[in-house]
Amino acid sequence: MLRKGLFFILAFVATLMFSMQAMAGGVIKIGVQAPITGKFASEGQSIDKAVRLIAKQYNKKGGILGKTIKVYTCDDEGQAQKAAVCARQLVDDGVIAVIGSYTSTCAEAAESIYYKAGVLQTSDGTSDTLVKHGYWTFFRNSSPNSAEAAFTAEFFIKKKHYKRIAAISDYSTFSTDLTNAVVKDIKKLGGNIVYKGKITSGAQNFTPILTKIKSFHPDVIYFGGYYTDGGLIKAQMEQLGIKADFVGGDSNDNPEFIKLAGKAAVGAYLVNVPLPNMLPYDTAKKFLKAYQEAYNESPASIWTLFNVDGLRAILYSIEQTKSTNTKKIAYYMHNKLKNFPGITGPVEWAANGERVGSAYMAYRIGSDLKYHIVYRH
Amino acid sequence: MEIFIQQLVNGLTIGSIYALVALGYTMVYGVLKLINFAHGDLVAFSAYVGLVIMMQLAGVISSSVVIIVLVFIFTAIIISAFGVLLERLAYKPLRKAPRLSAVVSALGASLIIENGIMLIWGPRPKIFPSNIVPNINWNIGGVYIGLMQLLVLVISFVLMFVLYFFVNQTKLGAAMRASAIDQDAARLMGINVDRIIMITFIIGSALGSVGGLFIGMYYRGIYFNMGWIYGLNAFVAAIIGGIGNIPGAMLGGMLLGIFNALISGYLSSSWALALTYVLLIVIMIFRPTGILGERVAEKV
Repeated sequence: MLRKGLFFILAFVATLMFSMQAMAGGVIKIGVQAPITGKFASEGQSIDKAVRLIAKQYNKKGGILGKTIKVYTCDDEGQAQKAAVCARQLVDDGVIAVIGSYTSTCAEAAESIYYKAGVLQTSDGTSDTLVKHGYWTFFRNSSPNSAEAAFTAEFFIKKKHYKRIAAISDYSTFSTDLTNAVVKDIKKLGGNIVYKGKITSGAQNFTPILTKIKSFHPDVIYFGGYYTDGGLIKAQMEQLGIKADFVGGDSNDNPEFIKLAGKAAVGAYLVNVPLPNMLPYDTAKKFLKAYQEAYNESPASIWTLFNVDGLRAILYSIEQTKSTNTKKIAYYMHNKLKNFPGITGPVEWAANGERVGSAYMAYRIGSDLKYHIVYRH
Repeated sequence: MEIFIQQLVNGLTIGSIYALVALGYTMVYGVLKLINFAHGDLVAFSAYVGLVIMMQLAGVISSSVVIIVLVFIFTAIIISAFGVLLERLAYKPLRKAPRLSAVVSALGASLIIENGIMLIWGPRPKIFPSNIVPNINWNIGGVYIGLMQLLVLVISFVLMFVLYFFVNQTKLGAAMRASAIDQDAARLMGINVDRIIMITFIIGSALGSVGGLFIGMYYRGIYFNMGWIYGLNAFVAAIIGGIGNIPGAMLGGMLLGIFNALISGYLSSSWALALTYVLLIVIMIFRPTGILGERVAEKV
């Protein structure tokens, strides 16, 4: 009996030692928490594919700190409950960093679990609250919602020097919040708002409100709603002989905008994060080519590339600190990492885990009906 | 001042579209005493049918005038046939049933058409090509009016006067008026009431299809569910003018369009729809039969 017990203890100790050796022997575990199925499946799969592609590229070059990168994926289906389960599972798997999730809701549901386990997390979630918890483990790799408003205000005042600004939204929460934030930021920069109003989305006939706006003689009309209304507003501005510029928020960025506005689309400005193929950086072109070769398709959207930048920055920081201690890596990312050449532009983080600078750009629709970048950070 | 005139022009344009659609409600009500709730969706359907025909023709014919004329003719024919089909399937079997059954049937037909459009063409808006009607704008003393707006106004007015003449000056029109007053008596006078009802649906649907095409060609973006809001506005217009009364529907449509434009322009577009109903209630209180509606002796 005693002998049997001793044997078990010996066996257990042996296994323990063996497994510890395996850990030191050379694996760095990276987690992916993304919606692989469900409504956002295409986005989630794209993120997973991109992370695996980067891991493969590193491993081909001999890994990182002499260790190979191993990727663990957990499907959170875009649901908060599933996200918490995923977070625990990935922590149990022993990952040191997690990429994801795609949605703010899922990223937020998992945040505290990663924080308690000391696991780094980088997400493209745009909700402003993500960085408000004070977790040292969280790094946002995209720009928050409020960044669009700040960028738009800067574009209006510092680039275009508009003197009389009119702003319209529809009744949706998204549009109202965005437009209010834009108006607030414009006022902060000393801009002059001459009119602020709302339209009913889908009403089609916007000539009454536009005629009213015309009487305020604005030099620009900002619209923070959707392309289905934005295209018509631009067309009806033209029809009413309104000479003011048109600037649309991110939800106007849709090919249908140009179809709805017809020739009137020429000269319209849109503010949004760029499409992957519009990124001007060399790293971006290289990555897109590699992705295309590996999977014979393009990444689902810009959000994949934001996440890739988060991953690349983490891996770079591991190399620089020569450590897998997440505290050390996070310290490096917060304080030392400056102007890291990302796919979506220079990458660096503020102390709260907010990405510094924004990827937003302003485009002008030219007479060729294509986007031309007119302003970016 | 030019702002006020511009708002009048804006209001008249949308108002004449409301009027065209309202005629369909009022004519059917006049003859059958039935609110054809599917009429608005038929209008939306006509915009989609018109778009398909336009895209087909645009590949074959180069003259946009010919395309537009043909689109109007073909769409009107198809939608009229559809209107007659609707009457045969949804209303005729219920003609002897209580009034409520027919109204429920109309609501059902409305849902079927709306969702049918969504199933065929999808939930995302469809867009009319922008190069069919040349984008010409005139500036008359600070008031802007476009070619398409002018077309909407002129064609609507011409159609309304033709209809008015038809109903009041022709034999068929007289038969229609007779059927509206008393179907049994009309039958005794040798009028084929079923045929009159069919003609009513043909005319109403054809006018609605013109309205639907105007919506598509003027605003360019069309939605599968837009029939509801245009139908509602046109229905209100028909009641304001006096339901069952043809000049009343025209007047109601114009008034509603101008009223909406002035409210949106001088107050807030948020109030436009709400105040429309306030207007409706006020008119109903002082003139229960609508502005041009006649007092009808109640049958006891």
